[in-house]
Amino acid sequence: MSSRRDQQSLEQTGKGRGLSKGHQLNWARWVTVGVIWIVVVLPLTALFLRSFAFRWLFPDILPGQWGLRAWDYTFGESSRVVEALLNSVGVALLVTMLAMIVGLPTARALGMHDFRGKKVVEWILLTPIIVPVLVAVMGIHIVFIKLRLTGTIWGVALVHLIPATPYFVLVMSSVFANYSPALEETARSLGANKFRVFRYVTFPAISSGLLVASLFTFLISWSQYVTTLLIGSGTFVTLPLVLFPFLGGGNAAVGSAITLIFVAPAILVLILTSRSLGRGSTVMGGFGKI
Amino acid sequence: MTAVSIQRLSRAFGNEWAVQELDLEIASGEMIALLGPSGCGKTTTLRMITGLLRPTSGDLLFDGMSVVDIPTERRGAALIFQEHLLFPTMTVAQNVGFGLKMAGVNKAEILSRVNEMLDRVELSGFGNRKAHELSGGQRQRVALARGLVTRPKVLLLDEPLANLDANLRITMRQLIRSIQRELGTTAIFVTHDQEEAVMLADRIVLMFDGKLQQVGQPDEFYRHPRTAGVAKFFRSQNFLSGQRRGNIVATGAGDLVVSDGVIDTGDGPVVITARPETLRLSSGLNEQNSLAATVITSIYMGTHTQLIVQLEDATWHVQAPPSTTVKEGDQIFVELPTSEIWIIEDEPESFGVTSVVNDE
Amino acid sequence: MKIDRYSLKEGLKIPLMVFPSMAVIVLLFGGGLVFGLLQSLGYLPVAGLTDFTFSHYVNVLTDPTFLRSLWVTFRIAFIVTLLSTVIAVGMAFILREQFPGSRITTFVFQIPLPVPHLVAASAVILLFAQSGLISRVAVALGFIDAPSGFPVLINDKLGVGITLSFVWKEVPFIGLVVLAVLQSVGPKYEELARTLGANKRQRLQYVLLPLIMPGLLSTWIIVFAFTFANFEIPLLLGQTFPQTLPVQAFQEFQKPELTSRPIGMAIATVIAAITIVLLVAYRRLARYSRA
Repeated sequence: MSSRRDQQSLEQTGKGRGLSKGHQLNWARWVTVGVIWIVVVLPLTALFLRSFAFRWLFPDILPGQWGLRAWDYTFGESSRVVEALLNSVGVALLVTMLAMIVGLPTARALGMHDFRGKKVVEWILLTPIIVPVLVAVMGIHIVFIKLRLTGTIWGVALVHLIPATPYFVLVMSSVFANYSPALEETARSLGANKFRVFRYVTFPAISSGLLVASLFTFLISWSQYVTTLLIGSGTFVTLPLVLFPFLGGGNAAVGSAITLIFVAPAILVLILTSRSLGRGSTVMGGFGKI
Repeated sequence: MTAVSIQRLSRAFGNEWAVQELDLEIASGEMIALLGPSGCGKTTTLRMITGLLRPTSGDLLFDGMSVVDIPTERRGAALIFQEHLLFPTMTVAQNVGFGLKMAGVNKAEILSRVNEMLDRVELSGFGNRKAHELSGGQRQRVALARGLVTRPKVLLLDEPLANLDANLRITMRQLIRSIQRELGTTAIFVTHDQEEAVMLADRIVLMFDGKLQQVGQPDEFYRHPRTAGVAKFFRSQNFLSGQRRGNIVATGAGDLVVSDGVIDTGDGPVVITARPETLRLSSGLNEQNSLAATVITSIYMGTHTQLIVQLEDATWHVQAPPSTTVKEGDQIFVELPTSEIWIIEDEPESFGVTSVVNDE
Repeated sequence: MKIDRYSLKEGLKIPLMVFPSMAVIVLLFGGGLVFGLLQSLGYLPVAGLTDFTFSHYVNVLTDPTFLRSLWVTFRIAFIVTLLSTVIAVGMAFILREQFPGSRITTFVFQIPLPVPHLVAASAVILLFAQSGLISRVAVALGFIDAPSGFPVLINDKLGVGITLSFVWKEVPFIGLVVLAVLQSVGPKYEELARTLGANKRQRLQYVLLPLIMPGLLSTWIIVFAFTFANFEIPLLLGQTFPQTLPVQAFQEFQKPELTSRPIGMAIATVIAAITIVLLVAYRRLARYSRA
């Protein structure tokens, strides 16, 4: 019984009891829809336009001149944008890989087994989500200096891993919770060894969840600011670090251009996961912590 | 006195009719089973009775008053769902008392009625527990109590026992039946299990594809199925064509005497049916109503031996005594007692089994 | 599907699976917290400070600037959480119905989720600065003459810019959680309540709100903790004085003076302590609503 059918009948049953209630609902509904569209689309559009504006002085609502000056500068020699972009991509990929290696077995254990100390594991996983990572990074900064990890991609990746790991494990453990070990047992009984089982049975079954979790982890690392600021020590620079000064002042067009590059992976993720959207989804909700 | 009157009730979804022209009169205190395979329209009908779905056409009356325009919350048709849907944040007592609270009944009365109902469903003292602390069967009993305590005009149950295991189902059936009788509540329940319908219902309403097939007391579906479809749903596939002349039906495997009570088809081609458990092995063709048959398979089932035999072009099932020792290929004679033969309403031609009979 | 505990031989398997991620968190995160705590107590061997002292905490906790920052931070987090919840719940109730365009509008609703906070802040500056887009529209409509006529919404006393930026991100976050409940179990319970005689208001009060409460409470904690502890947005959009607590902690930390580091760490530890309280509340809540 699809809910849409019932819905039609629900509304039909309400007919004849006065139109005012229906009208109220409609008014509120369309106002909300309008607000959502404007509030979401306007800022992003404005950013987009701004990055192509050459001269956009007060009080013009539209730019006086258009141009690619901002983009020329962004990708030019004098800005560190390209370097930062490559660093961002590199460290985010590294973090995603590390999170996968470190998190998959844990996620599987949490999703498919009950064991002593499970509650403890869950507690530990939850901590970096609610307690700010900044505090821990400030504390461990000295140690990283000692270990010569500051200013390196590995140092930055390690601190990014702190918030990334819990989120990855959280998403994947619910994937594993819906996964049945019977599939693997069947494969084993048909003669497949551990690697084959993983390749032909496990991996395909979890692959879409794994994609979501990986994109998620990528975005977490991609969006990190203050942790990179601390550990990067000015030597290792990522995109948000380059962006920040432009936001506080400086050339707004360039700031908008860098912002657009910065937001690109997020848009990509939206497109890639768009099939599961349209209805409420709590996995997607986890993205809110980017 | 008719408690619920369903008149030419129909419901379409787009171009498809889920329920077509359903007519039914339900007396006060009756327990009706809406029976049929998945997709036959029984749940749709139930939802129209509660008001969660609006009919495309037709009328629905409670105690003689049309309720089609009355919204669910004011109809008094309580629905017990397949999933118990107990409110997770409320206690058992709060769950059961929910409908009374909505109706504005005062606290003292809610308390006494809730406790009384909990006693009836054998959950005395469970009032303070929460839903997650209960077993499946207990939860379903709370759901039942919750629906009954409001003294609804009609109680509706949507396959309420489908999620329970077999033993639990049996106890719950008895509980539902006894409470319904005690309280005299008019009840309609939906099921796809014909055993359950037979056990619980005063009358059964069998539906296929949105259309009513047969209405009647349980035994009618066994002894007097209207169509082959009805018989098959009740686990009988024994059909045979023949030529009827008066009280005699001549088939390719022998002649049969039928009773006066069978439907009046006039002379001509008919299709007869008889249930496997009513058939006997007879000693020979000279016995009345004995048909010649060849054994295809013999399966020992403990309480009986299931014989699958060839009667002319038709394959019949016979329930023989457990000690029967026939084997594949044996020529036997099957006796169809006159009182157990019924003529179905299907057209013999459309039936597909034509019997070549010399009509002298 | 859960598998029960393994036999002793396989007893090593689970700990092995769990170990890597636990090691990462315990060593890096836990270790960081511990080192931070030590430093806040004055233990900084590299600078020759090896005595434990509470003096930094005393300094911090009696400093009126700290208390003001604490208040500002708390106020912003509270308002963000409150505002986001009200808006999100309202929107979720609208979006749960199906109407023409509901699917795509729900999609648009979720767009802010993967967008980094800094981008939201960037957009807020673009729109709400005194020389920003909205100000220019105001000029075009004749409301104001010059940038100074437009209210100060960024780096302002009330933290409007900060609040807007957070709300933009948090509304879909909360909204989605509520929407998920309203669209999955909501309809079934509503139907049930209807058959028991509940009218629209009663269904809202006694059925739907209790259903979404657990999800709401846990998202509140997450949103509050996140907003309270966030560094980037207040740094960008907040006042220079008083700053929010995380900003204050960081800036002390970066100061060249030797005594500043422990002070920064002390403030940070206070932040951590507050969020730990929230963490405990969160776990309690999960146990209560699950059990």
